[in-house]
Amino acid sequence: MATASLVAKRAVAADPGDATAILKQAFDNYRAATSQATMVMTVHRPEWERQMTVSSWTRGGEDALVRFVAPAKDAGNASLKLAQDTWMFDPKLNQVIKLPPSMMAQAWMGSDFSYNDLAKSEDLLNYYRHRLLSVRSAEGRSFSRIEAVPKAGAPVVWGKVEIEVRDDHVITEQTFFDQDMKPARKMLTEKVGPLGGRPYPLVITLYPQDAHGRWTRVETTAARFNLPIPGYLLTLSNLQNPRGS
Amino acid sequence: MVVALAWRNLWRRPTRAILSVLGIAFTSALLVFLISLDRGIDLAMKTNFLGVYDGFAQVQARDYAIDFDMHKTVERPAVLADELRKIRGVGAAASRVVAFGVAATPSRSVGATFVGVDPRQEVGVSRLASTVHQGRYLQVGDTDTAVIGDILARDLKVTVGDELKLLGSGLDGSVAADRLHIVGVFHSGTGDLDRQIVEMPLARAQQTFAFGDRANVIALGGESLPALEAATPAIASKIKRNGAELADWRMLEPSLRDSIVIKTVTSGLFYAVLVLVVVFIILNTLLMSVLERTREFGMLLALGMRPGLVGSTSWLEMVFLALVGAALGVGLGSAFALWIEHRGIDYPGGGGALLAQFGLPSRIYASLDPVSAFTAPGAILLGICLAGLIPFLHILRLKAVPAMRSA
Repeated sequence: MATASLVAKRAVAADPGDATAILKQAFDNYRAATSQATMVMTVHRPEWERQMTVSSWTRGGEDALVRFVAPAKDAGNASLKLAQDTWMFDPKLNQVIKLPPSMMAQAWMGSDFSYNDLAKSEDLLNYYRHRLLSVRSAEGRSFSRIEAVPKAGAPVVWGKVEIEVRDDHVITEQTFFDQDMKPARKMLTEKVGPLGGRPYPLVITLYPQDAHGRWTRVETTAARFNLPIPGYLLTLSNLQNPRGS
Repeated sequence: MVVALAWRNLWRRPTRAILSVLGIAFTSALLVFLISLDRGIDLAMKTNFLGVYDGFAQVQARDYAIDFDMHKTVERPAVLADELRKIRGVGAAASRVVAFGVAATPSRSVGATFVGVDPRQEVGVSRLASTVHQGRYLQVGDTDTAVIGDILARDLKVTVGDELKLLGSGLDGSVAADRLHIVGVFHSGTGDLDRQIVEMPLARAQQTFAFGDRANVIALGGESLPALEAATPAIASKIKRNGAELADWRMLEPSLRDSIVIKTVTSGLFYAVLVLVVVFIILNTLLMSVLERTREFGMLLALGMRPGLVGSTSWLEMVFLALVGAALGVGLGSAFALWIEHRGIDYPGGGGALLAQFGLPSRIYASLDPVSAFTAPGAILLGICLAGLIPFLHILRLKAVPAMRSA
């Protein structure tokens, strides 16, 4: 107990720059310079549950391509994010559609994630000030709890975000607070394991607050990091006509 | 005896009595008419606002009004709508699927609200069909058609005959994608609707958005809003077993409710001042009359009449005045209000265009009902009854001999 208290005191007194560094390392661990992953997304509702398999490619923190491969009904649907813009492709319509700003808050593929979650994944690093709240120890590891508060005038929706990062740079928990500082949703890492040569959050579940029995789980089943990504891959042309990706 | 005495006393000064009665009658009649006109304007505002799209009321899935979440649905809406149409006062019951998505053309995309409607019922609930100025409205038998607001059409650069692509999420989380053909463009005059709404056949929307046999709302229409409001208890009991709830006009248009409340409060203050002025004028007249008759009251007291009885006689005189005046006012005011309810009042020049911005027709009508007919005359009557206690108390304090000696 005394040790834990000492650790906590040390953490609170730590340089605020530490918090930003911890967060940046965690983001770098999660996405690397480039990545290619296969994920299973489960959307759970009290009345139904639905599983979708997706392949994703990321380049830096800004660009990403997500292509649905199963079930058959959704296969071929894809989202491309380049910087702040997002496009959708639907094989039934055979058309690339740029997502208008008014749609960014809508649910992505019926999940609890919004298009904003895809498009603004870097916001936490760029538009928030970070402060180390505490450090706790459990199961032989230490966990840093960081508070992220929006910078003045930042174009973000959350009042603040609290993030917990394990000492091996895995984000284990994110709590998003609304503008009234009430928790709006929580993202928990429910399984950590080695993947692509690094410790990785294998199962992440998003629980909206006050939405009993609703959650969205993303399970990463395979991933490679820092692999060369051809230039054509993250393009509108490849979104519509995939070239062996 | 007291009643007869009071009635007789009242007409001992016929000119004063008649003038007082006319004063009360004129004010009552004026207030009956003004309140009827006010209520007529309120009713016109409600009817016109709600008639554009909402309907007079809506049966909604529980808590749907909180966040318009498309996952909140009413089961088997067609059956429920059939049952609702059998209720007296409900003329039309139109099931709707309401979903959000992207409306896209090859070069443009805009966020839109896709509303699946049954055109046969929809025209009994919403005037949107009558505002189609290019092409036509949806028809029974349509499959992949759509009508869209003119601002949305302008934003997408589309017109009648063009293809519109729809991309959104289905109720089961699947991708909702469809191609629709625009058959009509409407201009409702309400910016949000003209900018946002794409109406498509109900069955097609249920299929595209994976709704099965479900809908989000059943919009209700009828001959008049008051008739539908009178049917509210029957509707509420009918929908209870479906787990749905009834959203009345106040829930559907809270801003309209607030503006009507503000208008009612400000008008009410004006009417209350008018009532107070009349009551004080009548009180002044009657108080003067009592003071003039102090010797008479002193004599009655000397003859052995109890002060309470003398005071009651005087109080009853005021009540009779008020009753006769108020009754006349109700009659005259109601007759005039009924005439304007039937004939309407025109707003000349640009007044009609101004009123159209507030959802009002260019001709306004009064609406006579028990509230408009009896509220103001009732308030005047009550005010005079209470004010009459002042001369009553004055008489109670009189002593026979000093009263008889007074000049």
